[in-house]
Parts: sequence; C-alpha cells; structure tokens
Amino acid sequence: MIQDVVWSVSIILMGALAVVFMWVATGASVAIANYGPVIDTAYRARVWLFGLALVVLIGANYKTLGELPYINTLPKLPAAAVQPTQVVAEQWLWTITPSTFKVGQTAEFQVTSKDVNHGFALYDPEFRIVAEVQAMPGYTNVLRYTFKEPGTYQVLCLEYCGVAHHAMQTEIKVTE
Amino acid sequence: MTMAVTAGRTGRTAISPRAAVLAYLAVAGVVFLLMMLLGLTMRLAQAQWIDVPPNFFYVVMTMHGAGMVGIAGLSSAAVMWHFVRRHDPVSTAVFLTNLVFFLIGAVLILGAGFIGGFGAAWTFLFPLPAHSGGLWSVNAAASYLIGLIFIGVGFLLLHLDIARGILSKYHGLGAALGVKQAFGLAPAEAGPPPAVTASTMALIANILGIVVGAAVLVISLVNLYVPSFTFNTLAAKNLIYYFGHTFINVTIYMAVIAVYEILPVYSHRKWKTNWAFYLAWVLSTVFVLTVYTHHLLMDFAMPTWTLVAGQVISWLSGLPVLLVTAFGTLTVVYRSGLRWNPAAALVFLGVAGWAIGVIPAIADGTIAVNSVMHNTQWVPGHFHTYLLLGMVAMVLGFMTYLTNPQPRYGFAWLGYWLYLVGGVIFVIAFLLAGAASVPRRYAVHVAQWLPYDRIGSIGAALAIAGVLILVVRFFVGMRTAVLAEDPIG
Repeated sequence: MIQDVVWSVSIILMGALAVVFMWVATGASVAIANYGPVIDTAYRARVWLFGLALVVLIGANYKTLGELPYINTLPKLPAAAVQPTQVVAEQWLWTITPSTFKVGQTAEFQVTSKDVNHGFALYDPEFRIVAEVQAMPGYTNVLRYTFKEPGTYQVLCLEYCGVAHHAMQTEIKVTE
Repeated sequence: MTMAVTAGRTGRTAISPRAAVLAYLAVAGVVFLLMMLLGLTMRLAQAQWIDVPPNFFYVVMTMHGAGMVGIAGLSSAAVMWHFVRRHDPVSTAVFLTNLVFFLIGAVLILGAGFIGGFGAAWTFLFPLPAHSGGLWSVNAAASYLIGLIFIGVGFLLLHLDIARGILSKYHGLGAALGVKQAFGLAPAEAGPPPAVTASTMALIANILGIVVGAAVLVISLVNLYVPSFTFNTLAAKNLIYYFGHTFINVTIYMAVIAVYEILPVYSHRKWKTNWAFYLAWVLSTVFVLTVYTHHLLMDFAMPTWTLVAGQVISWLSGLPVLLVTAFGTLTVVYRSGLRWNPAAALVFLGVAGWAIGVIPAIADGTIAVNSVMHNTQWVPGHFHTYLLLGMVAMVLGFMTYLTNPQPRYGFAWLGYWLYLVGGVIFVIAFLLAGAASVPRRYAVHVAQWLPYDRIGSIGAALAIAGVLILVVRFFVGMRTAVLAEDPIG
C-alpha cells in the first residue's frame, strides 16, 4: 500500500538526515585549522545536492501528478461502467445510497454535506484507508473508486465535525 | 495593560527590552508546559489509560491547538524581536502591548473552552462554531473568535512596528529582505543581517495572513449571531488555512534567528550570508504565502491547478530549508571546536528537527499520498517533528542562552536528553499510526490503535519531563539574566 511505501521512504530519509546531524555534532569538538578549503568543498557538494534534489523533485512530481484523483482529470467512463452513489454527511451520520457493491465495480461517490465540513474516508476490510474526499455543504465532490476485494468496508469521518466526530461511521458491503 | 499604557509616546518603558523578552519567555515556558500537559491528556485518553469524556476531549484538543499555535507565535516573536532590535529601532512599548493583547486573548479562549465548553478545534472551520450540537453557546464561540482577534491584533501591531523600524533604515522591504543580493545585483557583504532578513519575511507573511484571518474571524462572528448571514464554505476554508498555515509556518522562520545568532557565538564562525542565503529567504517568502492549498488537496471542488501548485510548492519549499538553513548549520558547526552546551545543542537540534520534519511533510503534501493519509495521525506526526523538535527546540535554546547555563549544566543536559528521546518516541508513534490509517482528532480509539497511543503517551511524558527541567532552570536563571548581557562564548 502507498502508506507502507511512504513510511519506509520517509523513515529512511529522516534517519539519514539524523545521522548526518549526529555525525557533525559528534565531530564538532575537534577544530580544524584551515576551514577555508572545507567550506569550499561543502559549497561544491551543495551544488551537486541541489542538482540531485531537483532531479528527485521533478521526477517525483512528474510521476505522482500523472495520476490525480480529481474527476475532471480522469477518463470519462460509459454510464454503464460506473455506479453513481449518493453520499450525504451530517452531524453525525452518513447516508450512502447504494451501500452494496460487487468486486470490480466502480463507484462514483457524489459526496456532500448538510451542515458542516466532514471527511469521507473509505477503509478497506483490513481497516486501511484506500480513498478520501471532503464533504462540504454547498458542494458535491465526486470520488471514483473501484472495489478490489470483497468484505466490509468502513466509512469514517476524517474532518473534525463536533463532539461525536469519532462515532460518525458506517459500512459498505462488497461481495464477489 | 499597565505596562503598555505607561509606556508613553516615545515608546520608552520602565521595563528594559531584555526584561520584556524574558517576560515573553516566562509566559512561553508556562504555556508550553500547560499545553503539553493537555496534549498528554489527549494521548492518555486515546490510550485508554485515563477516562476523558469526548466532549471534554474536544475542548482540550481545541485549547491545545489554539494555545500551542499562539505560544509558538509569541515565543518565536520574542526571539525575532530580541535580535532585530540590535539592528533596527523597535518599540518596547509595542512589544509589550502585543503580550498584553495575547494574554487578553488567551483568557477569552480559555474561558470559551473550559467555561463555555467550546470545542470546534483551533481551526474553527466555518460553519462549525455555529453548529455545536448543543455543547457550547453562541457566546462561548464568540469568546473564542474574539480571543483570536485580540491575539491577531497584537501581532499585527508588533509586525507593523518592526516594519517601521526596518523601513527607517532600509527604505524598502525588498532591500531588508536582500532581494538584490539574492539575484546578484548587489554584493552579499552589503546585505542585511540574517535577523533583519528573517524579520522582514515574517512581517510580510504575517501581516497578510493576519488580515485574511481577521476577515474570516469577523465573518464567523457575524454568522454566529445572524445565522441568515452565510458565507461560501470553501472560500472560508481557503481564508482559514491561508491565515493558519502562514501564522504557524512563520513561527519557525522567526525562531530560526536564534540559530543564526547563537550557534556562531559558540562555534566562533560567522554565519555566511551569501546570495544563496538571501535567495532562500526570498523564495521562502513566496512559498509560505502560496503553499497553503496543500491543506485543501481533498477538496475536489478547488480548481485543479491550485492543488497541483500546492503539491509542487510543498516540494520546492523544502529546498531552502534543507540546502541553505540545514546545510549552513552543519557547516558552521563542522569541526569548529565547539564545546557543546545545552543552548547550542538545543538550537542545533531545532534545525535538525525542522529539516527532518520536512520529509514527512513533503510526503503528505503529495496528492497521491494525501488521498490515503489526509487527516490521519501522519499530520500531527510531521508537524510535531518540525514544531516540537524544531521550533520549540530553538526557543528552548534561546531561553537557555539568555539564562547562561554554566552553573547547572548537568541539570539542563538531563532535560535536553529527556526532551529529545521522548520527543522522538512521541513523533514516531504518530507517524507509525498515520501509516496505519489512524485518524487524527479522535476522542475514542479502537483496540488495534492503542499500541501507538501508549508508546506516544510514554514519549510525550518523557518530553514533558525534559521541558519541565529546562523551563525550571530558565526561571532559576531569570533573575540574574535580567541584568546580564548575552553570553559571548
């Protein structure tokens, strides 16, 4: 899952940065007499680091911006290929119609709210998030998702909406 | 109020500038500790080690958020003001007036929460303050919003006064920011000192952010008493995040002045202000003012280009932090002969925390990642990394620096290590939980989330113990620090 990749990459990079800081900190008490050449080398290294950072930045953004979740960026599908699904949020319940799907079926959740901001978060049967979108009064946000495995999916609210925010949950059934 | 009122027209007060800075830091030390205890309360409740009713949990959450953002601003403003006044004429009376406005605002906010039961989160996302479900009154919500307005007005006055002082010397914000130096149009040696550059960036960003924040606060306030007066929720969200993101982000840019000023004292190396330094600050000014849409990546109704820009700017904004500030810190310290003391170690840690926190922040600012991690505990995971272990470390370093730590090194070192180890455990628990899809801002957690909450609680308790020690030794040293000069190594 994306979350696992993000966690692994983040902790490696964070750890690497921490090691660099620790290395400099532990060696700080030893003074070098001629600082000039060291700083020149460091600034040359920074140019290379800047180049590397730019390559990573451009590559990562090119890759990730190619697949956006926004409906206006997704290919149009024939009407028969999607299941329009109404999602109405209000303090503190979800009304989802329909709420049963088949594996492989693509739902287009048309998400709105009657009162305040809510967050529609779809949790798979292993209780990990697979898709999110905000529910806002006055707006209908369209989220497309294709169910990949059978089971009971949970919908949780992930935008704080008041005292029963944590209890604003419902289920979606997905069958073979 | 008395301090400010007796200041007189000349801006001179009976209170010395140094005492005023120490007053800020004394308030900061107390408020940081209290807000951390509120944070620990939430983690313990989520861990099911203590029983906290949800309605009170959300009050605590709201107070923790508002209190931490406010005190982050106040404490980092103390850092900025202390150092910028070495270069530009600024008013101690206005500085103290900001403190008075802050305290009035804090009383109104605390009253709204702990007396009125207000719990709409510190972000007061419109129109939630008016939809309490019967838990808080309109007056409680109004007290909160007016409290924020008081704090905003205080900061606005402070930034305007610093702008006045800077402009009296530099005749333009561009010159004070070092724009010509950034683009090679003037020699870097003739550029403004780092404290002036950073203060200029902070005032540009915060003045704009506070004015936007005031607008949405007034809109929310009117909506409370005249429900028929409504406002576009998406527009309100934009205004709130513009203000909120800018304000909290700028706290780091104000606090980092402590690094520029304190580390060279101990490493005996001047902070090199070359063209890259000025360019980094010019770009950071632009990024801070334009990156806020990364908070709206799951608002599909936003124009897509604004969300794409939010992602790209999130990535770009990491470059100045990592390649200029973090890199500069490492070169100032590298084999410098620096003999570590708690003040130097804390500001050094502050840069490390900031730089390291940039990594998970950039990840969360990526649309594909945000689609599955938005509003999970990944978010408090990354912002506590660069705030708790970044900005707060810089402020604690400044507090330790002003109250010369030599007589009580061992005591301060104990605080430092408890704070560091506890802080690392605390943020890692948040990040792990975020990767496991644990939502943020939940009063009640299911059984499978409890291990993260319990590890996080232990980390938080250790970190608070460390901060307590550092704050206590600040108060012990404060009396002599009022009359002292800054340490000179």
